[in-house]
Amino acid sequence: MSSSVDFPEFERHAPDPEAKKDIWKTFWILFGLTVVDLAFYFYIPSGMTRNVIFILLGIIKAYFIVGTFMHMKHEKTAIMLMIIVPVIFIMALITTALYEGYYLFNLHWK
Amino acid sequence: MSHEAESKLPTKLWGGGRSPFNLEYGKLMMWIFLLSDAFTFSGLLIAYGSTRYSFPAAENHASIPFGSHIEMEELHQYFTPSTPGAELAPGVQPHWPSPELVFNHFPFLHGHHLPLLFVSLMTFILIFSSVTMVLAVEAGHRNDRKTVAKFMYWTIAGGIAFLSCQAWEWTQFITAGANLKDNPFGPVAFADLFFIVTGFHGFHVLSGVVLNIVITSNVLKGTYEKRGHYDMVEKVGLYWHFVDLVWVFVFTFYYLI
Repeated sequence: MSSSVDFPEFERHAPDPEAKKDIWKTFWILFGLTVVDLAFYFYIPSGMTRNVIFILLGIIKAYFIVGTFMHMKHEKTAIMLMIIVPVIFIMALITTALYEGYYLFNLHWK
Repeated sequence: MSHEAESKLPTKLWGGGRSPFNLEYGKLMMWIFLLSDAFTFSGLLIAYGSTRYSFPAAENHASIPFGSHIEMEELHQYFTPSTPGAELAPGVQPHWPSPELVFNHFPFLHGHHLPLLFVSLMTFILIFSSVTMVLAVEAGHRNDRKTVAKFMYWTIAGGIAFLSCQAWEWTQFITAGANLKDNPFGPVAFADLFFIVTGFHGFHVLSGVVLNIVITSNVLKGTYEKRGHYDMVEKVGLYWHFVDLVWVFVFTFYYLI
């Protein structure tokens, strides 16, 4: 069996007997959140409030996909920070670009 | 299997001689690749957000009853097309189209107003293929070759189904007259960004399907059984979930907002 240990510098996760239950729970959460998205689309008039709700729901979905499906919940804090901190900067950049777009809007059409 | 290896691990996490992330090299590199890929998609989203906000907002047309019969010509009043030769009247602003009026088709139900129904189906297909992928990874932890292969088949089928849906969606949009320089629904930038963002995502799905097929053939050959672990399934799994994650945001920003 010694040949099977290609990378002895880390420990493999042990099989988790609860994993399957967790996966299906996450599936139903993602399914439900998408249905909620659609319900909000048809029952809340379009506007900033609705957009903010959609973005928040998107972030919650991202938490479940990255956390459970990509197994991030069980990884070391160092790798969590390495992946998540840059994404916070991305969100800041997207917000900034929206202001830039709004400025262009005023420039063109006002 | 790993008891011998574990006993050799230095106890200090950052003292050298072991992975401080406690991850296999290839998996760590996959995470870093996914982060860089997230930057690429963010670039597209940033371009999309600022372009969209530089145009007047779409109006909400929820007054059209769901499922009612409506022809493309009747919808034209809601759009300000930008095609060369079709000048806008003075004072008219080319507003960003409402997604529910552009994407309101469903196969075999032509002419009915069914906004977002098809794209929701695509979303569910992709979420479900993500679930089968993670079930394959879970079976890999138990070294259960047959179950890994079974769920990999389902994942590949989901990927192909998603790509077929996207091909249909593109065909609808293109036959309606949209391309990279014309857009009968509003600003040309709407069509440009649609094709670039969904096309780039679709290309990722295609690459994912190819990777999944390669990995499945290795699973069937017994490569990973011999190796003693199914880490490669986990690595393509990470990529596949990332593709699903990107779709969540494409769905949110392109179709919902």
